[in-house]
Amino acid sequence: MKQWLEVLRNGLSFENPLTVLMIGLCSTLAVSSKVEGAFFMGIAVVFVLTMSNVLISAVRKFTPDEVRIPIFIVIIAAFVTIVDLVLKGYFPSIYSFLGVWIPLIVVNCIVLGRAEAYAYHNGVWLSVADGLGMGAGYLIIITGLAAVRELFGSGKLMFLGQTLVSFGAAYRGPNILLLFPGAFILFGFVIAGSHALNRRLAARKEGSA
Amino acid sequence: MSSLAQLALLLVGAALVNNILLTRFIALCSFFGISDNMQTSVGMSLAVVFVMMLASTATWIFYYGVLKPLGVGEFLYIPAFILVIAALVQFVEMYLRKYSPALYRAMGIYLPLITTNCAVLAAATEAVKPGFFKMNMPYGFTLGENLVYTLGVALGYGFALLSFAAIRERLDIAPVPRSLKGAPMAFICAGLLSLGYIGLGSLFGL
Repeated sequence: MKQWLEVLRNGLSFENPLTVLMIGLCSTLAVSSKVEGAFFMGIAVVFVLTMSNVLISAVRKFTPDEVRIPIFIVIIAAFVTIVDLVLKGYFPSIYSFLGVWIPLIVVNCIVLGRAEAYAYHNGVWLSVADGLGMGAGYLIIITGLAAVRELFGSGKLMFLGQTLVSFGAAYRGPNILLLFPGAFILFGFVIAGSHALNRRLAARKEGSA
Repeated sequence: MSSLAQLALLLVGAALVNNILLTRFIALCSFFGISDNMQTSVGMSLAVVFVMMLASTATWIFYYGVLKPLGVGEFLYIPAFILVIAALVQFVEMYLRKYSPALYRAMGIYLPLITTNCAVLAAATEAVKPGFFKMNMPYGFTLGENLVYTLGVALGYGFALLSFAAIRERLDIAPVPRSLKGAPMAFICAGLLSLGYIGLGSLFGL
């Protein structure tokens, strides 16, 4: 159990897919202009990552080494198709906002990367932890980034048609935050901050040990 | 069939105004991963142009020739496309290794990576799923339009990658604050570069 929690926590901090490993960036920057879109994208990735980790880890003993990548991709594509159809059926507005990014989860480096680096070599139970941890690490960063961009860019935070926070109509935010360059620049600072934080955490770990 | 002017607009739109890397964020992994070296960037750009043209033609034919007549295009396109792309890349790699060793040396190691390059799958998907591409074509592309569109996307990819690689080479010797060194600074520069591409959008009124 201790190891399970350790694996889960690694995804959130020291091996966070976005800020440390720097994989899966494309979707992060692209859909983080709206909180609800980013949140659903995060949930979709958590689902695909956890389920594909479980399945890949369950069949790892019968998977021949030479054809493992095509097998991974087919498994991942199956779960992405589920997400694609569910979002299209129940959340059409979010489906049209996310657009091509849903099919692109198939080639999201996080999912394939974890399948190859973790699920293929570890048991089902630990792979669940890895999927949840990595997925949550992605979800937190992408939703946080979207919250900052939407709140300061447009002055209010919307979630499924409800206004959560609003600065009032007089607020004139820096428009650039909502545009593409804002995402790049903001994310640059997010990485710088999280590197500094991880350095400090690592130093404290050494100090106490 | 659309007129020549429309095709030209599609090419420019796909290459510059809706540049796949800098204004749509597709394929950023390879963008940040390899742009710290000019040599690898050239190899990757060549490989992407080559594979993308082949792959999106193949997936277009596969979609309209096989999936659509069978009525399964709606829910099988994701696994089908990725398999077509993966198989195609394997064939290209084998072919090049046997018949064109020089070309293989130039872009061989990038070929397997391209299977998971989002740009290829994105271009293939957008060609058959109208509405995903920003210019909002009300219909799926014809084969000719698809070729022009893919060429535009691939050229845009190469252009952005090479210009960013050139910037990053200068960045190595620039005085940058310690905590921003490396990746954070690269992101900020990419942001400034993408600002330029947004300007192009208003130029063509797209």
